[in-house]
Amino acid sequence: MGNPYLEMRGVSKRFPGVQALTSVSFEAYAGEAVALIGANGAGKSTLMNVLGGNLQSDEGEILIGGQAVSINSPLAATANGIAFVHQEMAMLPTMTVAENIHISSFPTRAGIIDRKAMEASTAEVLTRLGCHFTPDTRIQVLSTGDRQMVEIARALLSKPSIIIFDEPTSSLTSREKARLFDVIRTLKTEGVTIIYITHFLDEIFNICERATVLRGGSTVGGGLLSELTTADIVHMMIGDVGLDTRSAKHSTQQREVVLKVTGLNRRGVIKDISFSLHKGEVLGLWGLLGSGRTEVARAIIGLDPIDDGQIEINTGSGLHPIRPREAQRWIGMVTEDRRNEGLLLPMSVKQNMSIANLRGLLSRWKLIDNRRETELATHFVNRLNIIISSLGQPVKTLSGGNQQKVVVGRWLELNPPIFIMDEPTRGLDVGAKAEIRRIIFELAEGGAAVLVISSEIEEMMALGERYLVMNRGQIVNELPGTSTKNELMGAAAGAAQME
Amino acid sequence: MVQGTQINRFNLTTLRDFLLRQGFNVVLVVVVVFYALTAPRFFTVANFISLLHAAAPMMVIASGLALVVMTGKLDISVGSTAFLTTSVGTILMVRNGVDPITTLVILLAIGALIGAVNGLIIVVLKISPLIATLGTMIIVRGIGLEITKSTTISLPEEVRRLGNASIGPIFVDILIALAIMVIIHLVHTRTSFGRWLIALGNDQDTAARLGIRVNTVSFMSFVLSGLLATIGGVLTLVQVGAASPSIGSGLEFTAVSVIVIGGISLFGGEGSILPGALRGVLILEIIRNGLNFLGADPYAYRFVNGAIIFIAMYADSLRARLPVTTRTFEAPDTPKSG
Repeated sequence: MGNPYLEMRGVSKRFPGVQALTSVSFEAYAGEAVALIGANGAGKSTLMNVLGGNLQSDEGEILIGGQAVSINSPLAATANGIAFVHQEMAMLPTMTVAENIHISSFPTRAGIIDRKAMEASTAEVLTRLGCHFTPDTRIQVLSTGDRQMVEIARALLSKPSIIIFDEPTSSLTSREKARLFDVIRTLKTEGVTIIYITHFLDEIFNICERATVLRGGSTVGGGLLSELTTADIVHMMIGDVGLDTRSAKHSTQQREVVLKVTGLNRRGVIKDISFSLHKGEVLGLWGLLGSGRTEVARAIIGLDPIDDGQIEINTGSGLHPIRPREAQRWIGMVTEDRRNEGLLLPMSVKQNMSIANLRGLLSRWKLIDNRRETELATHFVNRLNIIISSLGQPVKTLSGGNQQKVVVGRWLELNPPIFIMDEPTRGLDVGAKAEIRRIIFELAEGGAAVLVISSEIEEMMALGERYLVMNRGQIVNELPGTSTKNELMGAAAGAAQME
Repeated sequence: MVQGTQINRFNLTTLRDFLLRQGFNVVLVVVVVFYALTAPRFFTVANFISLLHAAAPMMVIASGLALVVMTGKLDISVGSTAFLTTSVGTILMVRNGVDPITTLVILLAIGALIGAVNGLIIVVLKISPLIATLGTMIIVRGIGLEITKSTTISLPEEVRRLGNASIGPIFVDILIALAIMVIIHLVHTRTSFGRWLIALGNDQDTAARLGIRVNTVSFMSFVLSGLLATIGGVLTLVQVGAASPSIGSGLEFTAVSVIVIGGISLFGGEGSILPGALRGVLILEIIRNGLNFLGADPYAYRFVNGAIIFIAMYADSLRARLPVTTRTFEAPDTPKSG
């Protein structure tokens, strides 16, 4: 193997109060994909923002093809053949695909947009990506996976030699993922250098040749993936921290029922859902994507209307039927979509944590008791180990793991008897995942009943004491906590074949 | 049986979609047909020309406002800007004897300046567009009233005559207004600036991340809005032949109604100058014109106008909430053997 096409040497970057990068070195070869791995806050984004020209490093140099280059703006990055596919897609829904990918520099003729040239170059890139929509399709009608392709098309337009993919698969279905990987493979054969950032370790082994692992702003390891195992990488990422699993799986026979759902129906979505959830239990709702897991959760908590069925909650004096709309008083809901459903991003950590519990914070004069608000927030920040600079820090500046903990903390203030966790660790790094799992155990130990939905079977198996298996909107099986991975997969997949 | 209900439901949603997308075209046709049947002199060429004549200033003003609304913002100072134009123009020509061409240039500069002030307040001071332009709306009208001392001042006779200038049977201001609409339409649909306006209306943060100079584009949209409001004011002035304290009062709200009825979303990112804004102007003008023919109470127009605005706003919010069906465009499955 010759010299690396891209080399970053001794890159350091300091933010006020934080040393984000300490003499990081990174290299990538032409025609190869390098995985850039690290827990949240390890410095991946900072490093890539330096490469993408969004940030200036304090020290260090960047070499492309052996030549030292200065990248002091995103424009300079583009000029040096670097393209960035961001995790957060920048889509303009009411505009067409062609307009979206040309938006920052339209081809013009005498000031008038050259629509033909624009659509032709778009069509060319789309063909290269194997997309079947036309340049004049509105983004609005595209699925998330197709939008991701548009995002990549935009990056390809400048004919880059280095492409940075930041968490490209976090919102894709497995089929869309397979398509993306095909595209990356094609790009590699064309000699493009790929830098791939992700939390999903299985993807790395699937698509990358090489890995670089960051921890705490320094390079802690890496090498050819053919010589590494998942365990090696996880070890490099988080150091010597063991993964929590719940050792004792209790029997649920004697414990009292806190939530009983009978015959829940929503036409075309879920059918005849009945189950009980016990005090102190972690119940797994398992099924393939699209089997109706989230829809069950939404129906119980009153976010979607139901056609019929009954929801009973133990409100202290036995089970009482309640209207779904009222369920939110007893059920804390944590979803994967913390940004849209859970958090008020510009508001402070403290305000986010108290927002559901304002009534409980009223003083004698019916005003919000500031001191109690601070006390409670401090208490749960400590208990959940949320890393923040102050309680006044806006939630939008927190990492994903810490944001998720703020959502959990909010519900803890309210202390509901029931929690529904819908993909609570999606998009989080290994360390943050372990912490969220630990919190779920603690909730159950403390007597709360927890219904967990997860697409990751390892997570499901680590958490669940009992599993309900769903398929096409129905509960098709119930399995004990001792079930093996194969039994769980078989139940979900086998049920799929029965139809 | 089951199939029957499905077909039924399908028809209802398509009817709803049709009404949401084509509703105001339907209204336009219904209104025209209704007046044509009830008001004998309504459906004549002469009436349509006079109707367009009356609508000409609004065509220009609404085109400018549309550019701002497409970015998801609002400019309610357009009525006052048009009014100030008539006041300053009259004072310059009547009191100071400035010739009409110089006056026009000065007026355009003033309009652009008001737009620039709006733009700066919004972009630099980050004040909400509604509040910022509410402020300039009040101040600008104040200036206009001050310099004319709230009196009505007639234009010189030779300038007043321009108000009826026509080529053949068609008034010149109709041609000017239509030409301006075509130009703005081209700017909107065929230039980078036009696309950036829509990009801002989609999501300003996203637009900024894509490298669009969001502040410059916003600023320019307000300058254009001020400029076009001035041209609308000039057309009004020449038509009326005098500066009068009531000119342009409430005009900003008519302009907003035109925008909404024209299908330009107040949420930004959607809508067109042609046919959108033009259709909005025509619907309102035809309703007003027809009510005149029917000898309706002059205040009835306000009720009708108000009702139409409510319906248009409701339709806009419905459209915004309408779930867009997403499709997945994937390679067709390779046919399985056997």
